[in-house]
Amino acid sequence: MASGELKLSGWEVGEVRRLPGMDVKKIGRDLYEIFIGPQHPGSGHMRIIVRLDGDVMVEVDPDLGYVHRTMEKLAEGRSYIKVIPLMERMAILDACNITLPYVEAVEKLLDLEPPERAKYLRVLLCEINRIASHLYGMGIFGVFLGHSTMYMWPFGDREVFVELAERLTGARLTHTYAVPGGVRRDVPDGFTDDLRKAIRYMRKRLEDYRKIFLDNPVIRARLEDVGVIPRNLAIELGIVGPNLRASGVEYDVRLIEPYEVYDELDFEIPVFEEGDALARTWVRVEEIRQSLRILEQVADKLDKMPREGVMHDKFWAKAPKLYKDVYAREGRVKLMPLFATLRVPKGKAFARAEAGRGEIVYYVESEGGMTPYRVRVVSPSFRNAIVFKYIAPGHRLMDLPAIYGSIDYFPPEADR
Amino acid sequence: MSGVITWLGEWFFWPPFFQLVIAPGLVAALVIVIFILWFERKAAARVQMRVGPYNVSPRLGGALQLIADLVRYSFQEFIVPFTVDRAAFITAPLLLLLASMLPMAVIPVSPVLPYSYTWPNIMKYNLLLALALTTLSPIFTVAAGWASNNKFSLIGAARESFMVTAYELIFVLALLSTAAPVHSYDFVKIVEAQSTWKLMALLNPPAFLAAFIATLLSTSGFPFEIPESEHEVVAGPFTEYSGLVYGVEMGAAYIKRYAMSVLMALAFFSGWKPLDPQPGAGVWSGYVAPLVVVLIKATIIMAVISFLRAVYGRYRLDQALHLAWKILLPLALLGYAIGLVYGYLGVL
Amino acid sequence: MEEARRRAEEALAGIYESVEEGKGFVSFIVPLERLVEAAEALKSAGFDHVKSVTAVDRPKEGVIEVTYHASSYGDPELARGIIGLTVRIPRDNPRMPSLSRIWVSAEFQEREVFEFFGVIFEGHPDLRPILLAPPIAELRPLRKDFVVKEEPVYRGPIQKVEKPP
Repeated sequence: MASGELKLSGWEVGEVRRLPGMDVKKIGRDLYEIFIGPQHPGSGHMRIIVRLDGDVMVEVDPDLGYVHRTMEKLAEGRSYIKVIPLMERMAILDACNITLPYVEAVEKLLDLEPPERAKYLRVLLCEINRIASHLYGMGIFGVFLGHSTMYMWPFGDREVFVELAERLTGARLTHTYAVPGGVRRDVPDGFTDDLRKAIRYMRKRLEDYRKIFLDNPVIRARLEDVGVIPRNLAIELGIVGPNLRASGVEYDVRLIEPYEVYDELDFEIPVFEEGDALARTWVRVEEIRQSLRILEQVADKLDKMPREGVMHDKFWAKAPKLYKDVYAREGRVKLMPLFATLRVPKGKAFARAEAGRGEIVYYVESEGGMTPYRVRVVSPSFRNAIVFKYIAPGHRLMDLPAIYGSIDYFPPEADR
Repeated sequence: MSGVITWLGEWFFWPPFFQLVIAPGLVAALVIVIFILWFERKAAARVQMRVGPYNVSPRLGGALQLIADLVRYSFQEFIVPFTVDRAAFITAPLLLLLASMLPMAVIPVSPVLPYSYTWPNIMKYNLLLALALTTLSPIFTVAAGWASNNKFSLIGAARESFMVTAYELIFVLALLSTAAPVHSYDFVKIVEAQSTWKLMALLNPPAFLAAFIATLLSTSGFPFEIPESEHEVVAGPFTEYSGLVYGVEMGAAYIKRYAMSVLMALAFFSGWKPLDPQPGAGVWSGYVAPLVVVLIKATIIMAVISFLRAVYGRYRLDQALHLAWKILLPLALLGYAIGLVYGYLGVL
Repeated sequence: MEEARRRAEEALAGIYESVEEGKGFVSFIVPLERLVEAAEALKSAGFDHVKSVTAVDRPKEGVIEVTYHASSYGDPELARGIIGLTVRIPRDNPRMPSLSRIWVSAEFQEREVFEFFGVIFEGHPDLRPILLAPPIAELRPLRKDFVVKEEPVYRGPIQKVEKPP
């Protein structure tokens, strides 16, 4: 105790003193401090330190890192292909979107462009992931507001899209689908018909969601004018994704810097002006609608294309004959052995993509070896975490779940 | 032999015992609460495209699931943290259960009592007595929260006390507005004044609506499940409890909901009304049959309350209080005024 | 991208030392003492938020390279480009001014760079570790001299194979 003894004399409110392994902060006399999490039904894998004055939050301190897995450090010791399954652990339900910018960054360094069909397949899985991710977020949001039906419905409907992803990639989550140079497999037979069926089903369900949740008087009372992020503040805080677009900023990487084949597809970016929790929820619903539109176009396009070329010719030419036979028969590509010894030329690349929860950016630096020199990833939830600190104060304690759920904060993604 | 049966029957149907312990008290309450819990889970499951309780007794549709839960709860360890106020921590939940049940002892479930028993004179005011007893239980919820010495419990207890002050007046006013038209505080008179279709709920809808929502407010029914709101305050006043005592506390809210439903069934839905027991009727036709009718009506009210869980989320505390003070209280007053007008005109 | 680069060059004219071309971004290397000035210039040129505060440890050169990847939400032209603002600070005394007063969006990321590299951001409103526990943050895990010891693979109990006589 000698080194870290707490001296109480002359300790000002707000001043932080150090004890071994912890910082102690003195708070005001009339404040009531509660630690929400990390073992709390409403916190997720994080801790939110809330200081209350009566029922009103005056200070909110998000304490992240409870599921930090040192991905950036581990990536420095892995070969390029192994970084993909590592990185997708941060948001397993959004695996394709989350790893796509990494793959693109490596492709930029390798200076190769995947074939057309591979691009469409990537977009296909990305949009399936986006819908699944939004449904997951809405389900969690529903239960945060005590609405158990809104918890069960999206989780049940998400199953449709998880199932589609499984048929496409072989894995319900963590697909590792996009690899440098292309994708891992082609669509199985009859996939696009099932996809169209799923699209029709989901369109119908979105109406049901509106009836029971978004137009529910109780839910509207909880969400309207709660957690309002004005446009200039949203820009200043640098928040991303649906939360940004709910505040009236028309920014979507698919629109600003179209990657893959998004510039050939016809879709809209829903933007709302209100910036409150209800608008953020509406943005998600509308985005699901737009994703369904994209999926429809992709399905038509995939049907018209010849079923060949999901891997860049540079890699495909070196593939053993057995691989080509298997692909011709089943549409599957085995991961090619050359990926194990993939050397990436020296350089620095920066890539971004619009994941379900917002923009994700990767910075990949190569020294020319088999492992990256540095991989920097900033995930959407990490950039949204700042909302807790700057938006939540001034609201009542019962608004915290509403704000938390409406920004669709996902701790494993933020902590990496 | 028949003398023994009569003696046993007289002992069994002695109203203070029968009403509190058998029906509409403890035993009936447990049966109905278990049924309602099962119904609540099953109905919500149907709305949510699930199956609900099933694996325990598949042929009964999982009806025995609640019994299994109860058995599990009763064998779970009851942990008393060393930071709590031990005496209050242990006694508060039990008293909460008891206090939730007490109104059952003073309500008439039939105009006639079995075996030439009579109510004492004070029971002419049974409406007032029952209302007074319903207001007893919240103090034990607050006590449980305070004794737990836990921040979440304390917030939950504070919320509970806010809710109590909000709903009690509304519920009392709403029920009193049924007493005014008949010039009596006796449930028997109130029920007798109604008929199968001439229901107080239809004659005085504002009062009924106020009483119904006050029941939701008082028993943490959706959309007012605020003191135990899981996502801010874990389990509110009951955060530190475990095992059977936690089950008792959760059950107490349902038992209170049941008690208030019985009161509403009597005051607004003409109690035992399709039946019309005359003085001198036997135990079964004169006492038990009307009782069953009342319980069925109360169960239907509870089922409606339970179904709301599948439809609504929860209001914020300040919104619930706003609703209570600014909308429901005037509504209850309006109901009372309507009741007074009926009483003045002598409609009933 | 070209427009964003032109505007950034205009804003940073006379401040930056050199330009580094990356794939997907352009980085302007500025001297440490003019960093705040450069950041203010970029901010007023319309680069309103920071996407990533990227630190790279370069032990061979003895520096830690901190790059603020800034871009714009308000101006769709600028949003197409990503402008890096790079500063090189000595590895043994990593101190630099905080830019989170200028770009609030950098606040949490500067805390992250602080805990992983030990870079001290002077003037940061709340410089504490964010993802790591304080004892782990003391180790500065993303520096190159912190080597990850991965757990060895378990290969079952060691079996002695006796040679047949």
